[in-house]
Amino acid sequence: MPVIRTSGLGKHYPMGAWPARRGTPVRALEALDVEVMPGEIFGFLGPNGAGKSTTIRIMLGFLHPTSGSASILGHDVVRDGLAIRKRVGYLPGGISLYDSMTGNGLLDYLAGLYGRPAPLRASLIERLELSEADLKRPVRDYSRGMRQKMGIIQALQHDPELAILDEPTEGLDPLMQHAFLALLDERRQAGRTLFFSSHVLSEVERVCDRVAIIRRGKLVAMSSVATLLARRRRHVEARIEGAMPDLTGVPGVSAVDIRDGVLRCDLEGDVGPFLAVLSAATVRDLTIEPARLEEAFLEYYAPDAADAADAADAADAADAADAAGVISP
Amino acid sequence: MIGILFRRTFQANGVRIIACVIGLVVWGAVLPLVYAGFGQTIGAFIRNSNNPLMEQFASFGGGDLFSLAGAIALGFIHPIAIALLGVMVVGFPILSIVGERQRGTLEVLLARPISRHALFLVLFCVGALSLALLVAAQLTASVVSAAFSGVLDELHVGNIPLVWAMGTLLSVALMAIAFGASVSFDRVMPALGVTLVFVLVSYLLEVVGSIWPAAAWVSDFSLFHYVRTKELLDGQLRLFDVGLLGGVLGIALLYSWIVFPRRDIAAPS
Repeated sequence: MPVIRTSGLGKHYPMGAWPARRGTPVRALEALDVEVMPGEIFGFLGPNGAGKSTTIRIMLGFLHPTSGSASILGHDVVRDGLAIRKRVGYLPGGISLYDSMTGNGLLDYLAGLYGRPAPLRASLIERLELSEADLKRPVRDYSRGMRQKMGIIQALQHDPELAILDEPTEGLDPLMQHAFLALLDERRQAGRTLFFSSHVLSEVERVCDRVAIIRRGKLVAMSSVATLLARRRRHVEARIEGAMPDLTGVPGVSAVDIRDGVLRCDLEGDVGPFLAVLSAATVRDLTIEPARLEEAFLEYYAPDAADAADAADAADAADAADAAGVISP
Repeated sequence: MIGILFRRTFQANGVRIIACVIGLVVWGAVLPLVYAGFGQTIGAFIRNSNNPLMEQFASFGGGDLFSLAGAIALGFIHPIAIALLGVMVVGFPILSIVGERQRGTLEVLLARPISRHALFLVLFCVGALSLALLVAAQLTASVVSAAFSGVLDELHVGNIPLVWAMGTLLSVALMAIAFGASVSFDRVMPALGVTLVFVLVSYLLEVVGSIWPAAAWVSDFSLFHYVRTKELLDGQLRLFDVGLLGGVLGIALLYSWIVFPRRDIAAPS
């Protein structure tokens, strides 16, 4: 049974009752169908305003869906919110904490509200490198990164069956991001399910089993990371001596450019037919740049990318995304 | 779980409650002292002045300084007492629901297995208990101050619980209205604005009606009018007043009870 199942889930916001504000409702989420299976890390991708947080907030019962349904751990999100929240850990995006409490006091309080022990707290504190002295200080003195660590600890300390994490690495330094991703991996090995939204694609690529890509409130793709990557174009560059191979009709090959003894092209899908043709030539050097999730993401997501005929523009956009490591809408 | 939430809510508001208790104790003690020291003199001066306008202004909001009951009643309706009670009557409901919603801490709380009804009930109980404590602090200080000044025999001390009960009922009814506003908005300012307008207009109507005989009828539209402290200290309790304040409290509570779980919790700002 899926841990998370949404069926035709939608959320529309009316423009208001006042005549001056009447207009087309804002469609934050439309007919979302997602299934997350037990023990997987599921990445929920999309730029700001795509509907990621709306989906998560519906799952937690903060928002009421206007159409469709969703269930978490077999419970309906509208009717059985309490049963769901007993078994779920949640990290909101840009978490706010009670500033006047100490770190220890806050974790005790939030764990106490679950009414059960927090077996993972000590190990999480150690892994995220929070000291006892830090935890004795008021939260108001914490840096953004420390607040985020507190957010992660409060979401996972009671060892929930499902953790819903909204942009969890926000504010963490690269070392802590690494430690956090290792933590997620451990939780997966312990049989827990993790659902997290992000627009930092490298982390999704690294830990997620499957991803869903959401655009303007609509699901545009859902597959395993491996499938998504396999479908991606790889950039190939081969230095060839003598006659160039004829790549006409080789499946998956496009954008062929031969100049000064260097063959450049894009390669999609199975590399076998391409290598078979290439083996007939004298290849002095060969680089196949690995497919990046950023590019997959861009193809699905960049505004009007699907309609863009200009491949050079798309490549530029992909380069920019690679450089930044983050996709902007 | 509810116990933890209850304790934490009290702790979080502890400084605020203690500050208000101290303020109300001081204020509650002042007016009996003023009455004991200068009440007769002021009363004689105003009566001898033969100035009806001065007499009208001297009986502000059903209180005065010519009797101990009047002084206690004046203490209840005076802006200082209203402002101190207002910290909990208005500030607490606004900060604890819409304030937390705006900051984003409400969703951290509601991500736990706590229903919105349970949260509302805890907040309401903490608020109501705090207000009962604040009203009791002011009245206790007034009684102690009257005893200290040697005028306690002018007061039917046995009727003090009536004043406490009605004062608490009024405060809790106003707080329930603030809760109603708090659950209805996503941001603090509109909720605070609606509540303040209601409380201030209600207060203004009572004050205007009490000092301007031709406009006495307007005070009927004020909730403050239905805590008649001087009459209560004489042991006269009007059931209509209890029913009216109880009705307002009930309607405001019912509204919040229905609306709070049904409203979307907006993303924090």
